Amino acid sequence: MRTGDYKQTYGELVALIDSPPVWLWSTVLLLALIAAPFVLNSYALSFVMIILITVTGALGLNILTGYTGLISLGHVGFLVTGAYAYAVLVSKYHMPPLVGFLGAGLVPALASLIVGAPSLRLKGLYLAITTLAFSFIINTVILEMRWLTNGARGIQMPRPEILGISFDSDPAFTYLCLAVASLTLFATLNIRRSRVGRAFVAIRDNDTAARVMGINLHAYKLFAFVTSAFITGIAGALYGIYLSFVSVEGFPFLLSIEALAILIVGGLGSALGAVLGTILIVLLPEATRIVFSLFSAQMDATFTTGAQELKSMLYGLVIILFLRFQPRGLVGAWHDIKRAWVHWPLRY
Amino acid sequence: MQYLIQLLISGLAIGAIYGLIAMGFAVIYKSTGLVNFAQGEMTMITAYIAWTISTTVSGNVFVVALGAILAAVLLGLIIERLVMRPMLGEPVFATVMVTIGLAVILRSAINFIWDAYPHGLDIGMGRGIVHVGGIGVRTGQIAVIVTLLALLAAIWAFFRYSKVGVAMRAVAADDRTALLMGISATRVHALAWAASSVIAGIGGVFFALSYDLSPAMFQLGLKAFPATILGGLDAVLGSGIGGLLIGITENLAGGYLGSGMKEVAGFAMIIVVLMVRPFGIFGERDIERV
Repeated sequence: MRTGDYKQTYGELVALIDSPPVWLWSTVLLLALIAAPFVLNSYALSFVMIILITVTGALGLNILTGYTGLISLGHVGFLVTGAYAYAVLVSKYHMPPLVGFLGAGLVPALASLIVGAPSLRLKGLYLAITTLAFSFIINTVILEMRWLTNGARGIQMPRPEILGISFDSDPAFTYLCLAVASLTLFATLNIRRSRVGRAFVAIRDNDTAARVMGINLHAYKLFAFVTSAFITGIAGALYGIYLSFVSVEGFPFLLSIEALAILIVGGLGSALGAVLGTILIVLLPEATRIVFSLFSAQMDATFTTGAQELKSMLYGLVIILFLRFQPRGLVGAWHDIKRAWVHWPLRY
Repeated sequence: MQYLIQLLISGLAIGAIYGLIAMGFAVIYKSTGLVNFAQGEMTMITAYIAWTISTTVSGNVFVVALGAILAAVLLGLIIERLVMRPMLGEPVFATVMVTIGLAVILRSAINFIWDAYPHGLDIGMGRGIVHVGGIGVRTGQIAVIVTLLALLAAIWAFFRYSKVGVAMRAVAADDRTALLMGISATRVHALAWAASSVIAGIGGVFFALSYDLSPAMFQLGLKAFPATILGGLDAVLGSGIGGLLIGITENLAGGYLGSGMKEVAGFAMIIVVLMVRPFGIFGERDIERV
């Protein structure tokens, strides 16, 4: 049992994994996820895929909102640009999927540079406003550029074949999602503990102090925004492949809200929080449906007819309740429970 | 030329609706310092209540107007008391996120309480056409422009001369000093939410009168957003005028550049405004470049 934190070097303070039990549990989780496609039926497996894809997107937004403290209401815009970039490169111009994924990251990153450069000079909610505007503009742009995007008809997105390995079947595609999600997780954890990540957190906590310490605020905010858009774009490409079809309707504005709900529910600024939040938010509508259907068949019927509305209502409620009663999210709740367990019966 | 005037007039009419909703944004921002992302949804609910009154109670103009205003006041007060008041003193990020959550809830509530089909609000007026110099204008369009101008004057006088208006300005300027002067900040906040709900609700009812009610009406809030950015988030009168400008720009862009441009003209304008004059045309220059 751990009896305390014994850290003697700076290296230990920023270590990725600081204790053997965390190693153990991470390995167990990874093995469980690798075994999942063999054990689960296809319905449950689709949830695993959605969770892995959503984790990637949520981690992307976490860099911006969690680490740097900037709100984006238009991340769905980067999802849809990423998906379209991949679809155009791979389905239309028959490029290899790896180039497609690179494009799915770079095109949204470029878009974020254009949106971010003017709006990040200012403090406050201006980024939320411009990103909101961006997510609506990009939909119109996609619909208008018919020669490239097929307009409202959308583009088919077949499952890719990378380096000779086909990801056509559900289990194989789950592994692809798992690989991307784990890579993103490592990338964001490493960003967080690097000089850049510490600069992000400094900007979030006190921007004036950060400026005094010599952090170039505009450059670092822009960097956070571009990185976030890059990762979100790749998540968008994966989501498009999962849907096997990309169109503007496949990426409703609700996804932006869902992403913010995930971060708030999980706990802002924590990679673990993004993962926990994703699991809760993705499974919440399904769990509610099951609970309601226990009461009556009629309620179950309401759920199928008004699924989208109930989903958004749940997200709204979860956002408000968590902000009101548990602003540190699930991660905060977990820390409180651990502390209570160790110190019981004393308060602290 | 005829075409241009036609575009300008319908632009002014829809712009007046944006202006009313934008004033709703500005009233809340000015007194509480937060952007209410649920403004469009509150507007929509007021319009739906007006429609329900017109179909169930009476189609009389005064009954509908009075009922809608009362409902809007109640809606504003309830939201302020139940949702926003407990968040007092929390960081701006949290309160703004709460309004976003609220927006999503209200939007889907519409689909459950009413339905997803479009309805026309019929109170026996507003859809007639008057010819002014050879150009047909709906009476509802004239009425909304007149209402906006009248409200602009009334609000200007309210903030300038009434005790309550001065109190609201005091809270906006410095809530601590205002508190020391004996002003109850919470009551001012409640008043601001009620006022904002009514002003925006009037815009919503006029929209339902000239066009149709549908669950997609919350987008009015998004359309009014550029108006309040253009006019200045803290400038109530400026937001009203910003609405007119956005309405005209949107219609001209739609008329001459294609219908796709109509949808994004306002948003494109936001980005330009933020680059050139981020505090808006009439807003106060307290932008911090940090």
